Amino acid sequence: MFAQSVLAESNSLYVGDMIFYIVSLVILMLLVKKFAWGPVVKMMQDRADKIANDIDSAETSREEATKLAEKRESELQNSRSEAATIVGNAKQSGESQRTQIITTAQNEAQALKENGQHDAEQAREDALKSAKDDVANLSIEIASKIIHKELSASDQKALIDSYIEGLGKE
Amino acid sequence: MGGDAYTFKLFGLMFNWTNVLSGLAVFAIVFFLLFWLSRKLTMKPTGKQNVLEWFVDFTNGIVQGQMPAEFAPRYSFLGFFLFIFIFVANQFGLILQFGWGGHELLRSPTADPVITMTLSFSIMVLTHFVGVAQKGIFKYLKGYVKPYALLLPINLFEEFGNFLTLGLRLFGNIYAGELLMKMIAGLALPDGHLSLGVIYALPLSVLWQGFSVFIGAIQAYVFVTLTSVYISHKIAEE
Repeated sequence: MFAQSVLAESNSLYVGDMIFYIVSLVILMLLVKKFAWGPVVKMMQDRADKIANDIDSAETSREEATKLAEKRESELQNSRSEAATIVGNAKQSGESQRTQIITTAQNEAQALKENGQHDAEQAREDALKSAKDDVANLSIEIASKIIHKELSASDQKALIDSYIEGLGKE
Repeated sequence: MGGDAYTFKLFGLMFNWTNVLSGLAVFAIVFFLLFWLSRKLTMKPTGKQNVLEWFVDFTNGIVQGQMPAEFAPRYSFLGFFLFIFIFVANQFGLILQFGWGGHELLRSPTADPVITMTLSFSIMVLTHFVGVAQKGIFKYLKGYVKPYALLLPINLFEEFGNFLTLGLRLFGNIYAGELLMKMIAGLALPDGHLSLGVIYALPLSVLWQGFSVFIGAIQAYVFVTLTSVYISHKIAEE
């Protein structure tokens, strides 16, 4: 193929070369832009965006974490005071219950005691009453028995004496 | 201009085989290198993705350093592409030079003034275009008579000088590097056969190649920096 080629005419300008280079450089530029420059610049841009986003989201999550910590702190405080209130309430109600129970028990005991006294009084009265009746009956019986019998003077005197004595005792 | 390269004519235009083949090789290397580097991109970069991202960051840094922040993203791809292309083109001739029948076929495309001037011409056209697009034709033209109308010829000459120096600086550095490489190779192979000269030509060649890698990187950096400066100069409000 070189056989037909002319050797350079020393003083002519290779206009063909110039056009060839300009055209092929433009083509090469387009190819490089499409296949190499475009993807790599896009990737670098994506990475820059991602890093920026990551920094932003790190900032946001840091703030969120701080907020959460504060919230947790205040909730802890709340629950602490709540617990204190609960314990206080429980103490108070325990105290009042205790007082109530004691009062009730005292009242009951008082009532029981009164009942007992009352019962005892009643029983004593009953016993006294029945004893009186018995004594009366017995006296009547004794009197009737004595009356049925012949009273001697001394017996009569003794009887009267005892009667008078009894009167004096009354 | 080229001298002794193979050429062919197509549609009445003169083509130089060396430039066409070297250019195609560099285009292919640039494309497949970047294509390979940009596969399997992940959010957490590993391995080759780091390399590519480092390049992107590096060229973004160059562009951002030279123009107002609001314009920088628009031209960062231009900076990236120019840097990679010129860097690969500069190194290409150091790794591989191929000739056939006494004529070169493969070398750094940037060692040819036609190519570097084409690049510089495209950049200058671009700067004027974005200048007009950004500020409007009136303000753009007014830029030539600032700060005094008297400076118009100097401003015009500056534009022309920018165009020339941008291309010729790159060409000169790379061409000189390759020329010296060839001369060192000539020490080892004076008449096409290996000679004792290889004993001192080899370490010299290693040294010079290392230095040329450095030069190639610097020139790519300078080219991108100046491109950013020129664009920024045209679009920024004073």
